[in-house]
Amino acid sequence: MRNVLADVEKVFHSNQLRETMAYTEEELKKELETKEYEYGFYTDIESDTLPKGLNEDIVRAISQKKEEPEWMTTWRLEAFAQWKKMEEPEWANVHYEKPNFQDISYYSAPNKKPKYDSLDEVDPELLDTFKKLGISIDEQKKLAGVAVDIVMDSVSVATTFKKTLAEKGIIFCSISEAIKEHPELVKKYIGSVVPAKDNFYAALNSAVFSDGSFCYIPKGVRCPMELSTYFRINQAGTGQFERTLVIADQGSYVSYLEGCTAPSRDENQLHAAVVELIALDDAEIKYSTVQNWFPGNKEGKGGVFNFVTKRGLCERSAKISWTQVETGSAITWKYPSCILKGDHSVGEFYSIAVTNNFQQADTGTKMVHLGKNTKSTIISKGISAGKSQNSYRGLVQIGPRAENARNFSQCDSLLMGNECGAHTFPYIEAKNKSAQIEHEATTSKIGEDQIFYCNQRGIETEKAIALIVNGFSKEVLNKLPMEFAVEAQKLLEISLEGSVG
Amino acid sequence: MDLYEKLLSSFIAFEDKVNVNDEVHEIRTAALKRFEQQGFPTKKLEAWKYTSLQSLLKKDFSIFPGSKCALEYPAVRQYFLHETETFKIVFVDGQYSSFLSETTHDGVDVCLFSAAIEKPKYKHIVDQYFNKITDQKDALTNLNTAFANEGAYIFIPKSKALVKPIEIVHFASGATPQILLQPRNLIVVEENAEVQIIERHQSLGGVEAFTNSVTEIFAHKNARVDYYKFQNDTMNASIVDNTFIEQHDSSEVSVHTFSLGGSLVRNNLNFYQRGSHINSIMKGVTLGSERQHIDHYTLVHHIEPDCESHQDYKGIYDGRSVGVFNGKIIVDKIAQKTNAFQQNNNLLISDTATVNTKPQLEIFADDVRCSHGCTIGQLDDDALFYLQSRGIPKKEAAALLMYAFANNVLESVKNAALSNRVKDMIAEKLGVKIGFDL
Amino acid sequence: MLKIENLHARVEEKEILKGINLEVKPGEVHAIMGPNGSGKSTLASVIAGREDFEVTEGSISLSGEDLGALDPEERAHAGVFLSFQYPVEIPGVTVTNFIKAAINESRKAKGLEDMPANEMLSKIREKSSLLEIDRKFLSRSLNEGFSGGEKKRNEIFQMAMLEPKLAILDETDSGLDIDALRIVANGVNKLRSKDNAIVVITHYQRLLDYIVPDHVHVLYNGRIVKSGTKELAFELEEKGYDWIKAENE
Repeated sequence: MRNVLADVEKVFHSNQLRETMAYTEEELKKELETKEYEYGFYTDIESDTLPKGLNEDIVRAISQKKEEPEWMTTWRLEAFAQWKKMEEPEWANVHYEKPNFQDISYYSAPNKKPKYDSLDEVDPELLDTFKKLGISIDEQKKLAGVAVDIVMDSVSVATTFKKTLAEKGIIFCSISEAIKEHPELVKKYIGSVVPAKDNFYAALNSAVFSDGSFCYIPKGVRCPMELSTYFRINQAGTGQFERTLVIADQGSYVSYLEGCTAPSRDENQLHAAVVELIALDDAEIKYSTVQNWFPGNKEGKGGVFNFVTKRGLCERSAKISWTQVETGSAITWKYPSCILKGDHSVGEFYSIAVTNNFQQADTGTKMVHLGKNTKSTIISKGISAGKSQNSYRGLVQIGPRAENARNFSQCDSLLMGNECGAHTFPYIEAKNKSAQIEHEATTSKIGEDQIFYCNQRGIETEKAIALIVNGFSKEVLNKLPMEFAVEAQKLLEISLEGSVG
Repeated sequence: MDLYEKLLSSFIAFEDKVNVNDEVHEIRTAALKRFEQQGFPTKKLEAWKYTSLQSLLKKDFSIFPGSKCALEYPAVRQYFLHETETFKIVFVDGQYSSFLSETTHDGVDVCLFSAAIEKPKYKHIVDQYFNKITDQKDALTNLNTAFANEGAYIFIPKSKALVKPIEIVHFASGATPQILLQPRNLIVVEENAEVQIIERHQSLGGVEAFTNSVTEIFAHKNARVDYYKFQNDTMNASIVDNTFIEQHDSSEVSVHTFSLGGSLVRNNLNFYQRGSHINSIMKGVTLGSERQHIDHYTLVHHIEPDCESHQDYKGIYDGRSVGVFNGKIIVDKIAQKTNAFQQNNNLLISDTATVNTKPQLEIFADDVRCSHGCTIGQLDDDALFYLQSRGIPKKEAAALLMYAFANNVLESVKNAALSNRVKDMIAEKLGVKIGFDL
Repeated sequence: MLKIENLHARVEEKEILKGINLEVKPGEVHAIMGPNGSGKSTLASVIAGREDFEVTEGSISLSGEDLGALDPEERAHAGVFLSFQYPVEIPGVTVTNFIKAAINESRKAKGLEDMPANEMLSKIREKSSLLEIDRKFLSRSLNEGFSGGEKKRNEIFQMAMLEPKLAILDETDSGLDIDALRIVANGVNKLRSKDNAIVVITHYQRLLDYIVPDHVHVLYNGRIVKSGTKELAFELEEKGYDWIKAENE
């Protein structure tokens, strides 16, 4: 039982949470037991995996299995029609074998069967990583997909805390549930920031998304805890095409954490998620991601293709802040963006992208300034090691009516070793004379003199590199919620292990 | 018939008219084939994302100049750098004007590209250098190669430092109202040799000229090349200027581009560093006004270790002008100890001007120092007010501030006559009568 | 404590140290002086284990332990501290974080647990006041934007924190004005004890007014050509290095 509570805390990373946990362990236990039945619906369809391939019938079937209303089915079908017309994009600095979209199964019920019977069957390399992250044995089992004594479903946990959230009028549930329970909100906002036809992967996601999170913060409410999708992705097996929709109503605030803070050896090759944020007048959304999907092995085999569309819309005086630490995936392609539509709105992007071995990352942001007195800040830190390629690609666009828009961008790259690459592609488009834009980029390496200096003070080389990399990334690490930051630091170390020699 | 088809169907007629040897014919034919496949660049190409040729290509350009038009020196004197002695290679409507030119074969060759490709004594030069470093993926360069026949040919042999600068001036006389000009320059500077070159394209009267120029420059070991491009043409004229520079050990090549005039101006400036301890310098001042569209595209390819490159482009945009800066630095894996710097600073003067800037770094070596910076801002109101309060009228005060903004680049002009000329041109463009050296 | 025997070292093909012999006992302060290019800084780097230099002959030992096969960090764990002539900047890493890492790595090497946070804090407090270091200084990035004096003071602060057996101060006086020099020297003097030893490498005598050496050695052309007491330093100050050069040509 102790473990469960530890896990619960991990999920929500919140001090306030501990105070609000008035009910007893017994109550929680009871709730967890009963949840199995409550969600029996999933068990019914467990064996029910749709055949490979994608066509209109499959899209319809997905919608049907999820018992979606007609308008949702139509929406998916329209997206599918768009997708069929689109071509898969080509990127200059990203090379990979394109997925065969007819060779993927687009719906597979959450798998409750353990993949392994004991930890001995799990890849030792993966377990080693868990150990370094300081993850308990039980949690290790869970993350690796080993059967554990107490099955703790994240959906249930979320439900448990729904009570606390509900008191404040906050809705935090799966997107499937939201489609059924809060159709007016979903209908109004889904696709409003990332239209289905936005890009190839967004269209695909819109047609076939399996599940994801939905969050609504009512007017003037400050969400008392950091919301997380941590376990949802791991447990429910909905990682492949997730869909997230966060709506912060006027004057509200929410901090949202996404990602698996432990490596997940996911067999899905393709992840094409869509995240839409809507910050209405005076609202603030802080969205933090730590992404470390399986990056492929040292020879560059396997690994996840992470093609994600993330975008936020800021109304008047609203603020959206994206913070990301990207250490995983064989290929990462994502540009969390802000549409600064309202006057005085603010967009921020803080990013650390680490690539090692054969990883390729092409990430950055788009800041679209439409309103007056809008401000954006971009801090991007790229660290490349091994034979990896790390690109920053960003757009700062100042529209003709965006009086007094301000942008500051800084993109720094750190190269480790001689076989990796660091690339910077900032696009800056200004159509208003009162704009003030500054962009700086630097590329450097870790100096031998820096390493010797650390050595002399008794710090071994690998630790010295971790220290220097952490220093290099500090401005971004500082933006993460405390507990996340600690894990992110550890991740940086692990990701770069063996990159010098 | 649109320009594309017109060009393709004119090729045989063109080759009939000019003398050709087999090698050149083959190069031209192959280039034409590539152009035929590629077509004119469109905004779909990453390199042309911000610049469209569509409206320009709708015009009915003559591909072949009409009868020879003679220009009187007094009428065009202002376009030459008469304050100092220079060699001159002058073309009118694409044809050599011996009357306005001052060439030489005295120890160096300052003469014609047509002579170089025709005369047997230059054959080895043409074999070695012609079309060797151009970008075959670039349609306009291919188009130029296909019709390459006339331009400047400059050869500075080993250890020769040419004291007099060379002016290459292309006039469009107006005898043909809409004309496509495709000059082709070949410049070879041998070991330890030195040369200063000024290039200018000038349209007279209301002629609508579209120039698609290609220049190949080879700077051998320890050579010094100091190149200036004056782009101060009329608002009816447009230019795409493609320059390819290959540098060898310890050479230094600097290119200054002053873009003040012209309707559509696109500069493709490419440096390839094939040696170590090379220095490549690119500087530019751009003053855009009215509906001008001025686009600088630079590429520096660091291929070998221990080299440097420095880029500094200042842009000032007024009216409905559009400015583009697209700078790319590539550092190859073996090009360790590279120092590459790039600066692009812009001022937006009017509400309707636009700047698009895209500095890029592609770095595959770890022991390098590379940085780029770009800014977009406006004139400092406080500084403006300060100058006004000291009795300087607003227009002049603004001009002074703009001048100060661009001063870094102007200061690096090595020739005094040239530097004064640039300052005059800037004052004229800004419509002020003040000396900038306060 | 430190024993150097017949030490030869070279960088690439150039031999820089040509047979150094030196013994430093606990509690002693030795000064190594010499003209530019005599090999002073090389000697410091070789003791600390910098890989750019190849030891071709001879040995270095600390308290009987041969340092030859040890990596720089292992030498640091053994108690060698080098105060750099040009301390390196590490952006984003604060002085506090850096020293924490250094102390805990050394403890780890000795099989000890990390130093408890409160102990670390009180130690930092104690040592920083010893060296008249402002607390704000400790949260700045290591050596980034530090003045010459601040960098050197930071080196001595780290020395105070790490409590080495052997401290080598490489041109610690260079770039310091007289006030900074006094503070740094006072700090070093406070750290002197009967159990540790200090080697001061300097071009000028002035630092030795503050840190009084027991022995002075003159290094010239890769060899110690003269040894004596602190009076030798005065003599050098007076006569310059030319007479040493003349004697050894």
